[in-house]
Amino acid sequence: MKAALPPGRFSRLVLKVNVFLLVALALAGAFMGLVAYKQGWFIKQSPIYFVTPNALGLNKGMPVKLHGFTVGSVSDMRLAGGGVEVKLSIVSEHLPRLPLGSYARHAREAGVIGASVIDIIPGKGTVPLAEGAEIHFEPARGIAEIIDDLRRQAIPALQEVKQAMGQVGRTGEDITQILAGLRQEVDQLPATHRAVRQLVEEATYATSELSIQAGATLQSVERVAENMDRTVPVLSGKLAASIDSINAAAAQMRATGEEAQATLKSARPLLDRGETAAREASDVLGAAKRIWPLADSFKDTTDGMLPIDSFEAEGKGRSR
Amino acid sequence: MRLTALLLVLLAACATPKPSGESLAKSRLGEAEVRAAALARSGDYAGAARHYGEALRLATALDNADAIAANAINLSVVQQWLGRDAEARAALGAVLDDPRTPFSERRKLQAELRRAILDLSAGNVGAAAVWAGQADRRCAGACEYAATIVNVRAQVALESGKPAEAAQLAQSALERSRGPAGRTEAANALRTLGRARLAQGNPSSALEALKQALELDRELGDPRKILADLNDLSRAAEAAGDARAATDYKERGLAVSRAMNDGKSGPEMEALLRR
Repeated sequence: MKAALPPGRFSRLVLKVNVFLLVALALAGAFMGLVAYKQGWFIKQSPIYFVTPNALGLNKGMPVKLHGFTVGSVSDMRLAGGGVEVKLSIVSEHLPRLPLGSYARHAREAGVIGASVIDIIPGKGTVPLAEGAEIHFEPARGIAEIIDDLRRQAIPALQEVKQAMGQVGRTGEDITQILAGLRQEVDQLPATHRAVRQLVEEATYATSELSIQAGATLQSVERVAENMDRTVPVLSGKLAASIDSINAAAAQMRATGEEAQATLKSARPLLDRGETAAREASDVLGAAKRIWPLADSFKDTTDGMLPIDSFEAEGKGRSR
Repeated sequence: MRLTALLLVLLAACATPKPSGESLAKSRLGEAEVRAAALARSGDYAGAARHYGEALRLATALDNADAIAANAINLSVVQQWLGRDAEARAALGAVLDDPRTPFSERRKLQAELRRAILDLSAGNVGAAAVWAGQADRRCAGACEYAATIVNVRAQVALESGKPAEAAQLAQSALERSRGPAGRTEAANALRTLGRARLAQGNPSSALEALKQALELDRELGDPRKILADLNDLSRAAEAAGDARAATDYKERGLAVSRAMNDGKSGPEMEALLRR
């Protein structure tokens, strides 16, 4: 038995269903469009690529960064002659920022840990890369390689430190004593500075006094000569006075000479101390040249040549 | 006054090298040379050879004749220390087989001397004599390597069965190697002189020269040379009829050899002692 339906309930049913389907379709389309937009499907991409002998650590979709800013991604990877060809899709508007000579390297965002990315190092040219250009790729170094390199670089330095410590040990002095001595010397710096200043001032004063006295002596001699000129024609009783003047001049000259001698004597210790200082400086510099942190500041006079030893001719050069 | 000296040192330590403005390749060449020298000093000869090879490549790219020669010669030295005689000779080819590059007389002489040493070490006595003669002509008896050259010639004479000539040349080398810088060659000359006198049938005179050589080598601190001296002293003492002294030198040589961890020489010395 057929149930009675109220009139008008399913009127225009087809239309309603169609409208519903259209709305659903529009929503699905909008969602897909949003996803596509987010995925950058509407942004024009320019491909560039590189070939690496080993693509370990590289993945499709991996971001490509320039100065830490994402400019594209790894879009494709395939085996090729000489390794793996990796295709990068770069946002076209960023391609002019990649000049010729740019290269890619495998890096991590936070040093050793962090997400792996392809980092583009821009070249120094002015002409930008063309679409489809091949760039150089620098693979990431493994931990083992980094440690090995570090070890290779550290061993010579450690040897030098060991040698320097050995030299300090051989001198028989305790390093703490050396440092204490250095500290004491540094503490005496202001006093020494004052003493040096005083010495210089005294030397300047002595020099100027010597000059003044020499000038006075010369004037006295000139005066004596003038007196003699005047007194000789008359040869009178002024002779005694003239002799007194000559005696005074002679005494002054003697005094000046003695002062000059004293000045020289006072300068002698200065010269001796200077010589001692030069000798000590030479000794300290010689020691400093052998210490690792300073050794590189002094160039070796052997022009970097290894020894040419006739002993090697005996066939025992190997197995040193 | 110590303070003045201290200030001088502080000034030297604080001084920074002036900007040289040299190219990347030049600075890389300098770095490779410094690193190679440091590795050679630390005993990493394989590493030193690698960096000298790199330095040689960079020097060739820069067309720097002096650096090419210096690095080729240094490379030959470390290759020989590694027991790679063929590679050592090949390295010298960069200087000896290149007539176009204007190498200095000093570098040519160094390369010829190194080649003579390598040839003699490999038993090519004739070739060694030719190269040593060439170096000797270039040196004209008045260069820094005069004693080394004469020592090589003395060894060539000894290997050629001419002990009298060897003794004469070793004596000449000894006279040329006076002074602190020439002590290495003085010790080498005394060792060759001792061997030559032993070959001439004069063991007591040989002992005297070899003892002096041992003293010098102990001061210089090269175990290989100390071992060589002790071996020669043992032979000379045996030839002089002093079996006890000969055994004593052998025992000392064995101790040195063991300490050096020389796998070849130890069994040889033990075999000698068992006789």
